Amino acid sequence: MLRVEKLCKEFRNGRGRSAKTVKAVNNLSFQCRSGEIYGLLGPNGAGKTTTLRCLSTLIKPSSGNAWIDKYNVLEHGQMFRSKIGFLTSDMKLDGYFTPDYMMNWFGQLNKMQESQIEQQKKRLFSDLQMTDFIHKKIDELSTGMKQKTAVAISLIHDPEVIIFDEPTNGLDIVTSKAVTDFLVSRAESGKTVIISTHNMTIAEKLCHRFGILVDGELKEEGSLSDIIQGSSWDCLEDVFFSYILPGGDHV
Amino acid sequence: MFKDSIIILRKELRRMFTDRRLVFMLVVLPLVMLPLMYSFMGKANRTRQGEITSYTSRVAVCSDSRGGEISELFFQSLELLNVHVETAGLDQLDSLKQRVVDKNLELLIVMPDDTGDLITDNTVLDLSVFYNSTGDYSKFAFDQVVATFAVVSESIVSQRLREIGMSEDILTAYTINQYLAADETADLAEEGSVMGKLIGIMMPFFIVIYLFANSMKVGLDSVAGEKERGTLAMLLVNQVSRLSIVLGKMLSVMVAAIVGAVSSAIGLRIASRYLIDMSSDSGVNISEYTMGSSAIIQFAIVVIPLAILISSLVLLVSTFARNVKEGQGMIMPIYIAVMVMGVTTMQTGDVPPEWMRMAPVFNSLVVLKDIFMQNAVWGNILFSMATSLLAAAVLIFITLRMFNDERVLFRI
Ligand SMILES: Nc1ncnc2c1ncn2[C@@H]1O[C@H](COP(=O)(O)OP(=O)(O)OP(=O)(O)O)[C@@H](O)[C@H]1O
Ligand SMILES: [Mg+2]
Repeated sequence: MLRVEKLCKEFRNGRGRSAKTVKAVNNLSFQCRSGEIYGLLGPNGAGKTTTLRCLSTLIKPSSGNAWIDKYNVLEHGQMFRSKIGFLTSDMKLDGYFTPDYMMNWFGQLNKMQESQIEQQKKRLFSDLQMTDFIHKKIDELSTGMKQKTAVAISLIHDPEVIIFDEPTNGLDIVTSKAVTDFLVSRAESGKTVIISTHNMTIAEKLCHRFGILVDGELKEEGSLSDIIQGSSWDCLEDVFFSYILPGGDHV
Repeated sequence: MFKDSIIILRKELRRMFTDRRLVFMLVVLPLVMLPLMYSFMGKANRTRQGEITSYTSRVAVCSDSRGGEISELFFQSLELLNVHVETAGLDQLDSLKQRVVDKNLELLIVMPDDTGDLITDNTVLDLSVFYNSTGDYSKFAFDQVVATFAVVSESIVSQRLREIGMSEDILTAYTINQYLAADETADLAEEGSVMGKLIGIMMPFFIVIYLFANSMKVGLDSVAGEKERGTLAMLLVNQVSRLSIVLGKMLSVMVAAIVGAVSSAIGLRIASRYLIDMSSDSGVNISEYTMGSSAIIQFAIVVIPLAILISSLVLLVSTFARNVKEGQGMIMPIYIAVMVMGVTTMQTGDVPPEWMRMAPVFNSLVVLKDIFMQNAVWGNILFSMATSLLAAAVLIFITLRMFNDERVLFRI
């Protein structure tokens, strides 16, 4: 289970007097239980990537904290990292190596035994239907194959919490489905999954609960029925637009 | 921690030495560049030289009246040279000069009015010889004609002396090295040390160039490239400490740098054959120059810390830059500065100024020169090692600080 508490992140842009402080994430609190897929939704610049980067210890929160069991991002960086698998959509793997080689390499960096690596590889390769191309150079793979490779690599150490930033970005519906099906199967086996996306259709189908992030603030939180109940909206998209479109209920 | 660095290093090395394009850049290029360059330059030089000597120069002699004894001697000596002589009157002087300017004529000799002068007259004949220094043929013809005329002049003076009953020996106060025994040479430099000097002047420059070039080739991609591709984040969310990442990357850049330095050293050793061909005809023999095992150890003690210093410099820039392109822009001025340092040490004499022995990079270059010239002092070697390592430690420390600073790693 992942617990986020009053997370804030400010960036200072520029230097000296002209420096401006940007509040990318403002007082964000939510929980994400094991077996659950949590969707962080928001328009461009809402602070999704920033939030997920804080959760993966890449950047330090300005204030607030996040917990997995008794470990938190501020004090137990290394331990926290061992419990998460992190993936960003804007990553391009080094094309020179093969998926198989990269898996072994990241396995070693995660201090796994060779037998553990083999076992985990076998599972991920078959779950993600990768076996045809694991010995090809990554350069020679299609975008979808590359994304599957990236997913597999980020989960080589079988982490409890899966943090994916826009995992289906730029994928066709077939590969997109392969990835989302895979995430569903992970959640079913008791993992905690948190993804960010601005694709409402995928989110509605995939996620159990949602957080709608606009300008760094969490505007709505809960399951689809929680959010829609007692309101005039009938799908996530409407909720979303009500916060960002001129003339929307919340603008 | 060290184990993680080794895992990272192994991957980078595999990348470097299994990619044919990279192997060519890092290993083959520094090895063959200098031999190719020098053999080509030597060859071009020789053919050009041959062409110049076999060329028949056009020489014009300008005078109004002729018939003197002395000028006749000059004319005779001209005929012995490979020249085509035309004669003209003084009224054509300007147009002839223009032809020299236009390179239609290699040489213009102006004879004074010499009607009926005799050797025994003891008068001075004032000749003018015009040439064009921008033409290879013209300069060559000028040198030849002046040398020939000097011989003629000497023989005239001898004749005059004999005429008044004096020995021509009074013209010669001393001779130098004319009566050395056949098996004796005047240059008493130790065997191989001439070669050593030549190599000592060139080598440090090329070593530092390739240390830098190879570090750049590998180092910029190593961090800035990973930032650009977003894979650095992937590495950072693993169990590895940032220190081991920096160390692993640094080791790989260092290996690339050292491979470049050693390749170029071997390359220059091969190239020195052509270098000798070009720069002298004194019969210096390349095979006389050997580096003993102690010199090789000294070489390693200087070059490895220097490689550590240069690779940590490149890695620092690579860490700071947002992407490879920005990194290249930042490193270029440093690269040029290091090249200037190389040239500066190349041009210092046998005793470098004191500050050069103190400053990092400079002192390594100076001491490398000493090593190749086989007169290095251990104190200097160890001092240059210490300064390189100290400077590298500072740079690595700064790089580590940057690695822990999200403002540097995730700059947008
Ligand atoms: N390293 C940084 N330095 C300064 N400002 C930043 C930095 N990273 C993000 N920001 C700012 O924080 C805000 C949130 O950005 P973020 O990337 O988290 O948005 P996002 O929700 O992921 O958007 P997108 O859907 O476009 O990926 C933006 O205003 C952005 O300019
Ligand atoms: Mg984003």
